[in-house]
Amino acid sequence: MLHIGYEKVPMCSGHGPTRRSFLQAGSAGLMGLSLPAWMSLEASGAVDKSKQQIRNCITIFLVGSPGHLDTWDMKPEAPAQIRGKFKPIETNVPGIEICEHFPLMSRMMDKVALIRSLHHKTGATHENGQRWMMTGHEFNADSMKPHSGSVISRVFGNKGTLPASIVLPYKIGNTGAGPLHGQSAAYLGSAHEPFFLGADPAKSDFKVVDLAPPAGQSEFRLNSRRQLLTQIDDVQRRADTNSEVGRDTAYNRAFNLLTSPEAKQAFDLTQETGDIQDRYGRNTLGQSCLMARRLVERGCRYVTINHFDTVFGISCWDMHADGGGLNNTYADYENLLCPQFDWAFTALIEDLTQRGMLDDTVVCVLSEMGRTPGINGRGGRDHHPGAWTNFMAGGPIRGGQAIGSTDKTGSRPQNNPIEPPQILASIYHAMGIDLETTMMPGPGNRPIRLIEAEPISQLFS
Amino acid sequence: MDQRFEGTPKAEIRVEGRRLSRSKVTNDWGSQLVWEITRNGQVVATVPARANNEYTHEHNTPGQYEAVLKMFKYEGYAKDTAGNFTASKLVEVSNKLSFTV
Repeated sequence: MLHIGYEKVPMCSGHGPTRRSFLQAGSAGLMGLSLPAWMSLEASGAVDKSKQQIRNCITIFLVGSPGHLDTWDMKPEAPAQIRGKFKPIETNVPGIEICEHFPLMSRMMDKVALIRSLHHKTGATHENGQRWMMTGHEFNADSMKPHSGSVISRVFGNKGTLPASIVLPYKIGNTGAGPLHGQSAAYLGSAHEPFFLGADPAKSDFKVVDLAPPAGQSEFRLNSRRQLLTQIDDVQRRADTNSEVGRDTAYNRAFNLLTSPEAKQAFDLTQETGDIQDRYGRNTLGQSCLMARRLVERGCRYVTINHFDTVFGISCWDMHADGGGLNNTYADYENLLCPQFDWAFTALIEDLTQRGMLDDTVVCVLSEMGRTPGINGRGGRDHHPGAWTNFMAGGPIRGGQAIGSTDKTGSRPQNNPIEPPQILASIYHAMGIDLETTMMPGPGNRPIRLIEAEPISQLFS
Repeated sequence: MDQRFEGTPKAEIRVEGRRLSRSKVTNDWGSQLVWEITRNGQVVATVPARANNEYTHEHNTPGQYEAVLKMFKYEGYAKDTAGNFTASKLVEVSNKLSFTV
């Protein structure tokens, strides 16, 4: 059975899509199925509820990009100006070594699949890599592509009151080369924009911006406003334009969040014990990972954690050591970045395992690119999209393996080169989505595949 | 947005002979955690402490040693010309204990 979102497209039973069914799907797209049309299909039973039973996904996006030679693809035999300062340690998987500053991760490598041959061929900016890894596409302002969480939101919708796609803690801001980071819904419309938390959950005065009623407004008053807006929306709906329908949905989502006790609980980390908050780490990444677990536990399908919202003037992975606004060095990696990541990531995997959630949650650690094999004259490493390492765990991912490899200096893939769209395809596949039969409305509402790439088969074998 | 640590991490350490052990750290910032061992006021060892709750000091030089647990406190990313932090540093998060070799 072919699906466009939840809609089953009629076909000859059991024999795959027919020319006629493709034409029907195509004409539905060309005629522009509006959201109410999709919803009426759902009401009439045409929607396949079983498609809602996909796994969840938590993605930790390491903004700035760790040096692969300093973390998960070490080259201890290389000359000093390439191998860097850190030493590798053994893991609980024979033959796989990682950086000494990930001692806890080294004990759970059997749950993790490293992908060591990632690369892309477009520019060496953060934004190029963000667009690739957030959407599976390179694009410009005239051809925006949706964030993977927006794709999930559009195709599978919400499970409860929480948005299907949530980004913690902040959206990516200035990373140097423009505003296109791949964290928007693009042509899928405002109803499928990720919900950006917009606050630091590690702060003692943490408050979700969109969940706090404006000063002086009670929930009764909010409900009254909602009724009024509903009436206004009814009038607008008669005009029957897609943009207004999208806005209606966005209003509903905002009000659901404002008024739902379940939503407020999901974001309330004080309901966790001090021990568990400590285990994740009382810092922005740690508490974001804890919140991500709470959100998927309560119905959010896709959580993206941006580890940093900029690369300027902060301690982050962007290790140029330039002496100015990009002055991250080995000292940042050793004292702050690697320990915090090791502590938070392993807490998340442990916690999901203990709660019986890891089989139903895909965990991905992604970044824009790698860093130059040669250490620059100031002791840092610069941008290098020619090779890097990311990894996945949970769901059906077979841990305990390193897929692909790089050459002796970590400059380029040596075998099994992997490109970003394959990562997106692997995420969708790991979530349980059949990429051959599941489609979404593309530009102009034409049905398109979620991603034009195949999953990395070794992840699942 | 830069991160700001709040609260104060605390842990308790114990010693039996040369074997040091520690409690969990409360209000744990999740940053670098080390055993710092000094002798006659000089640092003789800085040993990662996050992955293990115990550490056995193997130095054989006789003398009075002191041990404390330290955690990295981030106060900003400013560095000196050698690339080392200027304001951010390791701070004590436990009681201090003495032992004799």
